[in-house]
Amino acid sequence: MIRRAVSLALTLALAAPFAVSAADYSVQAGSTLGFTSNFQGSSFDGHFNKWTAAISYDPAKLASSKFDVTVDLATAKTGDNDRDSALPGPDFFNVAKYPQAHFVTTAFHQQGNQVVADGMLTLRGVTKPVSLSVVFKPQGSGATLDVTGTVKRLDFGVGGGQYADTSVIGADVKVIAHLVLTAK
Amino acid sequence: MSLRSDDRRWGSVAKFFHWIVALGILGNGVWGLLMTGMAPSMSKINIYALHKSIGLTVLALFALRLAWRLYDGAPPDEAMPRWQRFGAHVTHVVLYGFILALPLSGWLFNSLHGYPLQWFKLFNLPALAARNDDLSELAGEVHEWLFYLLLVVVIGHAGAALKHHYFDQDNVLRRMLPFARLRAGKTSSGELT
Repeated sequence: MIRRAVSLALTLALAAPFAVSAADYSVQAGSTLGFTSNFQGSSFDGHFNKWTAAISYDPAKLASSKFDVTVDLATAKTGDNDRDSALPGPDFFNVAKYPQAHFVTTAFHQQGNQVVADGMLTLRGVTKPVSLSVVFKPQGSGATLDVTGTVKRLDFGVGGGQYADTSVIGADVKVIAHLVLTAK
Repeated sequence: MSLRSDDRRWGSVAKFFHWIVALGILGNGVWGLLMTGMAPSMSKINIYALHKSIGLTVLALFALRLAWRLYDGAPPDEAMPRWQRFGAHVTHVVLYGFILALPLSGWLFNSLHGYPLQWFKLFNLPALAARNDDLSELAGEVHEWLFYLLLVVVIGHAGAALKHHYFDQDNVLRRMLPFARLRAGKTSSGELT
């Protein structure tokens, strides 16, 4: 009896790290990280050309799932020369001082049918909580992961000072990511 | 002062449209020439937005003005040589063309550049054309040159009005001035009362 209990405990102890860890994925070409905001009553889209994401996810093991994303802010493009030359500047991303943004999840929770990733976003030297809606669709050995969330730009001082007028430049920036994943 | 024009002078509605459009288009033109040299800033964004809003207002006022002119008509011409009457009417048509073309070319320029177009932060207007960086530059030049050409025509128009006022001493200018009294015995038609 004792031996069986010990062996069971051993089995569980050995199996535990595997049982609780979610699957690791690598991000494939075709993945996009974009954003949408508003300027003078008209919405515009942008995207980052360079970013990396470490994705560890299992819908059945949310507790051990994790997103860790690093974004190269200088690669933001919105299709307008004036805007694209302003974005890296000191008034907006200030890439000279803060070249990267970083998002790392702290927890996942279920909200109705929706999985929400809670995490901390570090942008322009400010770290604040940001939550993202997660849609994960397994496909063969990989998956697609669609993530959306809203970042309040002024929380991070993006376009603060003279550009803080949200009647001209929208307060909310919607972040939209589409990741094509293959199992590691 | 009546709202409608009569056989001696322009009515107050026609005068209002004339002077507000003149002030709007000339002021906005000078404003537009000054603003282009600004370094990027929120002030620049707001100043451009105001320029666009005023330009759209001029366009709307012009449409109303044209409708009013068709309804209201115009006082008969003052007595003057035929060539002057002809010249005055041609100038008026050309001026109307410029008042229409200036805001429209600005709107087109804005559309080709891909900028949003908002009227005093209240509502947005659609683009007149799809974005095109090459054509946008051309449209910007056209927009600016239309204003210089307008200035030439305005100088002719105002110069002629002043010539009639000071040299011919007739009512050509006075009948369009907001608070002026007509000169006695100088109207081409209708009896003075």
